[in-house]
This record gives sequence, structure tokens and C-alpha cells, in this order.
Amino acid sequence: MRESYSKENKVGEGTYAVVYLGTRQSDSKKIAIKEIKTSEFKDGLDMSAIREVKYLQELEHPNVIRLMDIFMAYNNLNLVLEFLPSDLEVVIKDKSVLFTQADIKSWLLMTLRGVHHCHRNFVLHRDLKPNNLLISPEGIIKVADFGLARAVPNPREILTSNVVTRWYRAPELLFGAKHYTYAVDVWSVGVIFAEMLLRVPYLPGKDDVDQMEVTFRALGTPTEKDWPSVSMFPSYNKLQIYPPPSRDELRNRFIAVSSSALNLMCGMLEMNPGNRWSTVQCLESAYFKELPSPSNPADINISSS
Amino acid sequence: MASKSTSPSAALLNDSIKSLVSKHLPDDYKRVTDDDLYRHSSQYRHWSYTVGHLREKRIETNLKAVKLIQAKLQKFIDEQGDNISQSELQTLKSKAVPLTMEEELKLVNFYTKKVQVIGKHLNLPTEVIATSITFFRRFYLEESVMKYDPKELVHTTIFLACKAENYFIGVDSFAKKAKSTKDEILKYEFKLLESLKFTLLNHHPYKPLHGFFLDIQQMLYGKVDLKYMGKMYDKCRRKITEALLTDAVYHFTPPQITLAVLIDEDELLVTRYLQMKFGKPEETVEETGTEIVTPAKENAQKEKQEVKQEVKQEVKQEGEKSEQNGKPEDHPNTEKEEEGAETKQEEEEEEAEVPDGKDENTIELDKLMEQIMACKEMIASMSVVSTQDAKLIYAKNYYCQYPDIVIQKLKRKQEQEQEQVGSESKETTEEVSPMKKQKTDV
Repeated sequence: MRESYSKENKVGEGTYAVVYLGTRQSDSKKIAIKEIKTSEFKDGLDMSAIREVKYLQELEHPNVIRLMDIFMAYNNLNLVLEFLPSDLEVVIKDKSVLFTQADIKSWLLMTLRGVHHCHRNFVLHRDLKPNNLLISPEGIIKVADFGLARAVPNPREILTSNVVTRWYRAPELLFGAKHYTYAVDVWSVGVIFAEMLLRVPYLPGKDDVDQMEVTFRALGTPTEKDWPSVSMFPSYNKLQIYPPPSRDELRNRFIAVSSSALNLMCGMLEMNPGNRWSTVQCLESAYFKELPSPSNPADINISSS
Repeated sequence: MASKSTSPSAALLNDSIKSLVSKHLPDDYKRVTDDDLYRHSSQYRHWSYTVGHLREKRIETNLKAVKLIQAKLQKFIDEQGDNISQSELQTLKSKAVPLTMEEELKLVNFYTKKVQVIGKHLNLPTEVIATSITFFRRFYLEESVMKYDPKELVHTTIFLACKAENYFIGVDSFAKKAKSTKDEILKYEFKLLESLKFTLLNHHPYKPLHGFFLDIQQMLYGKVDLKYMGKMYDKCRRKITEALLTDAVYHFTPPQITLAVLIDEDELLVTRYLQMKFGKPEETVEETGTEIVTPAKENAQKEKQEVKQEVKQEVKQEGEKSEQNGKPEDHPNTEKEEEGAETKQEEEEEEAEVPDGKDENTIELDKLMEQIMACKEMIASMSVVSTQDAKLIYAKNYYCQYPDIVIQKLKRKQEQEQEQVGSESKETTEEVSPMKKQKTDV
């Protein structure tokens, strides 16, 4: 019954998996095969692999990478994923690619839809970054890499704050919060939004301490006023207090951006996770309703000229 | 597609609006409900059945294994050729009988209970134990105990459940605690994952339970004793774990199971709550008195609209219905400080989903009660498998696996009989022995 696939060239290698390009024999469709490394396992199946399988099995959505099949071969676990030739990091970095405000809006919209789908299924992604937003041949953004995902915690459940790639890490995580929710993902999307607009990483901290410095210098140090009991975090006292940026400062940083775009970005980059916008608020923001309307994904040209 | 009958201008208007909002509201736009989400879950797609389908599945799994065992026995007999005497053949055929579907089920239930006990012994969180139970039972829907000795799957299942529930324990320390070995634990891990169809996310009824408790407390605020509610909550959590040992999990949704458990615990309170929530206003007046009618009406109205369309006869599909009964779970009213604005947003979104004035979308309290009662009955009908029963079944299976042992035993017995007249009781003790031998490490 198992369909057969051919593995062709290796396209990537992570800590727990090797990714190959391949073809589904039945219809010559291009696919990606993520082969989970077995030899490395001390504890049987790797946790990241388990998380990835667990959540991808539940999350079927146009903006979430599709897990098409799973099979065992030579005692290795192989995830058959849809073929997604590019990712947002590559596109942002490639200075020869020109993209418009409408393109950015389209990418952000697709990203938010994917993330919203995770959230309404009570799943936190916890590693959103341009590199994990893959792009299909049709230009569709797909949220990928669920190796750090987890279910929304029960109240009082203690979580690790050591999640999310540094530059995209929300302030509550920088403070080492043991309780957090969906808001950590929204922050990451906010930073990605800024990065799309600037075409350079928005908050590139050199290390964990510097990340706080960079983050608060850009967006202001949170205070008790807008985030009650933020000063209870152990690392808070050592912080330099920066004022939040004025609207004009933001406008100077993000030139040629509409005011509803700025509103949305500020909503996503709200320091206090309780006040940060939810994906629903983001999706309903005026930014998506005003002109220009988001580009048709298929029309966005991402190959370098 | 809109407007053959409408005037051109209306059509134009329609189209221009459509093009304006088209990115957000395509023609086939439909809000996603909690039901839709549940229907996409692997628990619903792969692990929910009608009663008939479940039975067929078990029969099929059993039949496949029986054929295998029969072939294996025949091969053994053929290999023995003339070495096997007629009486030995007789004994073999009477002892090495493949298990029936019912016997398999009993053995699985017996070992599922073991999974639960060991999970408790290892001090695992309730959810991890629940997942262990669920995995173990699902594995034996796909595979037969005649092919995979349940004893060998117990630790593997618990170990995988720990990982699936993000409660990681290193295999060495797990082996130490469970008095097992790394190899034993990992031997069938892939096989287990494969038989679980690579689906690892479970929706257990504990979360709906939490939601219902919050909602009951809110709706009957001032009329329920909070201390009593606290005790009831703990009891219900235990009962839910027990319910996970029954087939109710294959036919009903987590919120339905929750309601069945709740109503089993305090029928009066829960009936009253459900009447407030879903009852028609008249019923509420009649049965629960006037003092609590008013707050219910509005809420009931709202909930009603969301539920109705799913009411179908088939058990599996009926199962979906209570998804909405489980709604309170998505409205953790008293948890706002934990979940923050997001929960609230979800809530608002859900409320926005309810189209106005669709009156046929009302939940029927009678139908709901019928479902809950059927679920409750199914949970209650679970019978405990005695150790004696399990041992006999285990022995039978053991003889199927190792026909040579039957022959050896017979030979030994005959030798003994020649020396002294054997007693019949001996036979029974021997019959039980394989299980005993194996059991020590369970």
C-alpha cells in the first residue's frame, strides 16, 4: 500500500534530520523527505521528531506545511512533506529581488493565517522566523518546522523560556518567564514583519543579554505602568531604561509605511504579552483592508533577476 | 454567481463589494467552528468508530492473527512429522487454541489496567497516564496480542506517551524506575508509532471537565458549595481515567464523556445545569424553579444555535455533537489572567460565527441527554477482567506461540504419571505457570 518515493539530492541537514528532495513515483510529484536520524537516538524517537509528527498530523491548512506521508525505511523515520523550494529568509536576503508593499502584505497575511490555525488548535509554534516560513512554487507561505511546538499550557504549568531563535524572542521569554502563551508567536511575526519592511533583521542581538538591550533600545523598556509586575523578573533591575519610540521615530525607521501598518506592527510588538494583539486582531486589522490589497501569491516574483 | 435575478446595478454593487473584501471573504466563505476543528483531529479521523465498525475492526485484527497462528501450528506439526504421537497432537490441539476476539479484548483490558497502575506507580501526571492508556488500546485495535505480547508493549507505550505529552524521561532512568531495560523499552517503539498511524495528539476529557466546572460554577453561582465542587472535580477526574478504559472513547467525544461522568457523579446538579444551558425556557421553569431561569435564557439561546445541525443517528456522528457541549472549555471565563487577550479573542470570534436567526440550529436537550446516558451506560458496562481469566487466556496464547512447550510438558507429565498417579490439579497449576513466570517483571 505504501507509495514509493525516490530520494534525490540532499538539501539540508539539521540537528535531528536530513532533508532530501525527492519524487513521488506514482505521479512524479516533487516532494521533500525529512529523514529523522536514528543513530543519534539515545532515548528512542527524538522529541523534536515526535513534536513535529504530533502537530503536523493535526494541522491541515493552506499556510501550514503539509505532511503527506510517513514511512519507515531501514529503521529510519521518514516524513514526506510537500516540496517548498524557497523560504522567506532567502527572499529577504536576496537584494536582487524587488518586492512591493502589496507583496509584504500578502506574505504577512498568509503567515498570520497559518499561525492563527496553529493557535486555534491550541498549538504554540515557538520557533517562528523567516527561515521557517517556506514558500511553495505557487508563492504560498507555509509555516514549517514544528520541532519546538507544544500544546497551549494548562494554567500554572511551567514552561521553558528557552525557545524561539534569539532575534525573534518575545520580551517575556527574554525575561525568562515560566508562563506564556500565544503571544510569543505573535511577537515573532511582528519582528518578521519589520524585517520584511527593512530587509535587514530588525532586532539582531549578539547574545541573550544583548538581545534585551537591542529590543528595548528599539521599542522602549517596559515599565510597571504598561506591564504591571514586569519589574519582578530577576533580570529587570539591571536594565537600562529606554523610552518607547515616538510615532515619528517609528515612521522614520519604517518609511513609506501606512499608519495602519504601523499600528499592526506595534500591536504585535506590544511589550506586555497580555496587551499584545492576538492573531485574530491582527487578521482583522485595517492594514489588510486598505489598499494596496495583498498581491496574488502566484504573481510575486521571488527569483532573482 | 450571485445575481441572475437581481438588477444589474445590484449585481455590480455586489461584485464590487466582493472584490473589495474578496481577500478575506471568498465565495465559499464559511467560519470554522470548533466542530470543524475536531473533525480534522486525528482522534476523530482515525480513532472514532461506530459500534459496528469497531467490532469489525477487532474481528479483522483477530482473524488475521488466528490465521497466522494456525499456519504456525500446522507448520510445527508438519515439522514434527512422525515424532509427534496421536495423543500429543490431541493435547496440542486442545491447548494451543488461538484466542477469540473476546479473549483478546479481555487480555488487552487486563493489561491496559496494568499500564494505568504502572503509570501511577511511576508518579506520572494524569494526562500522561491517559495517553498511555489510549495508545495501548489503540495499538491493540491494529495488532493482535497473538502477534505482540501485551507484556512487552506496556513500558514501550508508557515511555512513548511520556514523550508525546512533553514529559520527557531519559530511557535509562525510565528503565531503572520501571525495572525494565532500555532494549525492552525501545524494541517496539517504531512498531508502536506505526500502529498508532503516527498520530500522537489526544483530546482527553480533562480539559472539557475543567471548562464545565468553571461554567457550572458561574451559572449556578451562589447555589453550589465550592468545597463540594472541588471534591466532585477530583472524583470526576478519576472517573474520566476509568472511562478511558472503555469503548466510550471510540464512540463519544471528550465533552460527551465528560458530561456522562459528571451526570454519574451528581445527576441532580448536572441535569439542572444542562437544563439551564440547553433547555427550552418552559422546561427550565417547570423543572428547576423560577429563581434560576433568567440568567440561563440568553446563554441557552446562544448555545442552542450552535449545535443543532450535527444531530444524526449514527453513533459516531452523534459523537460530534457534544463538541459544542464542550464549548465552555473554550471559554475559560475565570482564566483570563492566565490566557490573556487571546482567549477572549477566540471567544469573540466564535460568537461571531453564529449566524443570526437560524432557529433550526437549536440543541435538543432530550437528544443530548439521550447521548450522555448512552455514554454513561457504556462506561458503566465495562467489566473488570479477573487475574484468573487473564492468566488462562495468556496461557492459551502462550501455548499457541510455543507449541513445543506443550509437547515437552506433556512428555514430562507422562513420565511423572508412570512413576506415580498424577492428580488433575497439577494440570491446572501448570497451565497457569507461563503467565506467572512472565508476570514477575510486569
